[in-house]
Amino acid sequence: MMKKLAAMLLTGVMAVSLAACGGSTAASTSSNDSAAEEEVQEEPAEEADAAEAEADAATAEANDDTTFVVGFDAEYPPYGYLDEATGDYTGFDLELAQELCNRRGWTLVKQPINWDNKDAEIDSGTIDCIWNGMTYTGREADYTWSDPYVNNSIVMAVLADSDIQTLADLAGKVVITQTESSAQTALESEELADLTATFADLQKNPSYNTCFTDMQAGAVDAIAVDIGVAQYQMRNNPDKFRILEEPIAAEQYAIAFKLGNETLRDQVQETYDEMLADGTVMKIAENYADDNLPDMLITEK
Amino acid sequence: MSLFEIKNVSKSFGDLKVLNDITVSVDKGEVVAIIGPSGSGKSTLLRCATMLETMDSGELTYHGEKAASNDADGKSVYAPASALRKIKSYYGLVFQQFNLFPHYDVLKNLCDAPIHVQKRNKTEVTKEAMSLIKKMGLEGKEHYYPQQLSGGQQQRVAIARALCMNPDILFFDEPTSALDPELTGEILKVIRQLAQEHMTMVIVTHEMAFARDVADRVIFMDGGYIVEEGRPEDVISNPTEERTKRFLARFAENG
Amino acid sequence: MSLISVIQQIASGFGATLLIFFCTLLFSMPLGVLVALGRMSKFKPLSLLIQGIISVLRGTPLMLQLIVVFYGPYYAFGIKLSTNWRLYATLIGFSINYAAYFAEIFRAGIQSIPVGQTEAATVLGYTKVQTFLKIIFPQMIKRTIPPVTNEVITLVKDTSLSFVLAYQEMFTYAKQVSAAMSSLMPLFVAGVFYYIFNLVVTIVMDRIEKALSYYN
Repeated sequence: MMKKLAAMLLTGVMAVSLAACGGSTAASTSSNDSAAEEEVQEEPAEEADAAEAEADAATAEANDDTTFVVGFDAEYPPYGYLDEATGDYTGFDLELAQELCNRRGWTLVKQPINWDNKDAEIDSGTIDCIWNGMTYTGREADYTWSDPYVNNSIVMAVLADSDIQTLADLAGKVVITQTESSAQTALESEELADLTATFADLQKNPSYNTCFTDMQAGAVDAIAVDIGVAQYQMRNNPDKFRILEEPIAAEQYAIAFKLGNETLRDQVQETYDEMLADGTVMKIAENYADDNLPDMLITEK
Repeated sequence: MSLFEIKNVSKSFGDLKVLNDITVSVDKGEVVAIIGPSGSGKSTLLRCATMLETMDSGELTYHGEKAASNDADGKSVYAPASALRKIKSYYGLVFQQFNLFPHYDVLKNLCDAPIHVQKRNKTEVTKEAMSLIKKMGLEGKEHYYPQQLSGGQQQRVAIARALCMNPDILFFDEPTSALDPELTGEILKVIRQLAQEHMTMVIVTHEMAFARDVADRVIFMDGGYIVEEGRPEDVISNPTEERTKRFLARFAENG
Repeated sequence: MSLISVIQQIASGFGATLLIFFCTLLFSMPLGVLVALGRMSKFKPLSLLIQGIISVLRGTPLMLQLIVVFYGPYYAFGIKLSTNWRLYATLIGFSINYAAYFAEIFRAGIQSIPVGQTEAATVLGYTKVQTFLKIIFPQMIKRTIPPVTNEVITLVKDTSLSFVLAYQEMFTYAKQVSAAMSSLMPLFVAGVFYYIFNLVVTIVMDRIEKALSYYN
């Protein structure tokens, strides 16, 4: 009796978990289906990666293999995010990366990462680069960089009906920003020390999305945020937010490679320059006109 | 040659010496009752005999086969596992707390060890188990689980489980002590019946009347020593040792 | 964006959540039994070693353990990490962490079984392995179902911790959809998924408990 029961239980558990393993493959495949015809997602790459892993091991520097693994924070629109309609990852940077791969005959792998772990990801070789509205200013020595391609400014977002109009009005207010973001770096820098000192508090949250919810709920008064992210939020929540006219910092975005990986950087830069020269980059930027990207794009060296 | 012999056994728990140079041997067909106050070492003796405890020194023999013998320093050395496995099949033990397997029904409690330990034929074992169940007056209960039975019934299952292994000798460790007084009778009846069938048995018990009635020999233990040993009519009815007299007198009062 | 497409997007990560859940149970439970036995070993060094490991696994955040498992091979040995390692590291991290908890539950279960059970089995001639598998183990399972159910329910929710390794499970998708929509609604949808999943878990565990209640 007991033995039979135990056998039944065991069989049941195994059947269910096998079904689950099989089922999940099926599920992730089918989830791809909608987007599959357009672009390569991360899962198929996972399956086909035994060879890639070997190749990875063999090529510490150059991108000899044909996959190009772009690490990005998938919660960072408009540069990299989940397109709800297709279930695919998209964004300005990912579209650029896709075009670049098409030209070089590489297969693009879009690898979402946990932004807090970006250094470990790039050091350990799980990704080839970070192409995700990554701020170059202030991090010059930490990575091998492409040329800057976007002018970004860090702004203060407040509620549309807030009485805060200028940076001076932030005195005594609670300000929030994303943990480890360039906005945080800027606010904690010497140049902005005087401004930051006037805040009642400077809080950090891992997700800008949560920061905006916090502000709507009244938990914070202002958000220090990249202008592109702020504009995206404003588009999704019309009439809720406003940006202070005076930016708190200006900075530039570039593509980050593992320190010393100049070979790959040069390959990417070469093709990017072609794309810039023939207007493709601007064409892609125009897809994000709502986010002001055409104006922010760096078009000349 | 005696069926069972435990010779010069000593056993201590820490500083407490519970068995002092005890020797007991039992012949085939003999029924031996061990009596004595709590803490006298009688249960420990039984546990040493059934290898639930290891002896510090002393020898243990079944059918002349050594389970343990003394080395040069007088320390007990046990036989290799394979020899012990064979020796274990010579005896059975009935516990005070029954210790039936709660997740097995009555029939499986009886049959599992004969089938999976002794590797006997399943049909044959089942047949034998069914007749033991009948003999114990438990007909119709073979698919009951232990907790569905009364204490007396559980102890009868435990006796049947021990018998189903076809042991040559059966040890009982206070088989009625965990039972309500009105249930002890049914167990004593079963043991008495086994005695009539000349089953070799060693019974640790507090039931003096029963011991006198059923045993061929009574051993009185106190403080880790055998104080008195002999025919029941001598030890229980006319003890010679002072300690035996005191124990029995106290017993008469309490009983 | 409609609720239906939010649900679809979040559901696309549900397979990965199930994968972590079932594989963790499949590996951590048998491992937990072995660890419990090692922990109860009379060989002191083994017992102490396992006690130490359990102490670390229970005393540090699972999130940190996942990071150590994932990046450890690179930082300790300079091994380049493959893409699949993201999943494997997640499963390894979860399995060893849960094995530590299961081990303590199983140990408590084993130790709560009266010593008389082992003694009866010994006298009947069962080997140690037989005694464990036939007598102790089934009783241990029955006794540990309530605390095991607690752990299983916690595991359902803990699967979301694999976001630290950016393994794309349900909650990771929910956060991404949330960011894309600039709304917290997708997170609540994910909450409903977890709740329903746990409802099923509770029902299944309840069934198992009932199935084992034919004896006390």
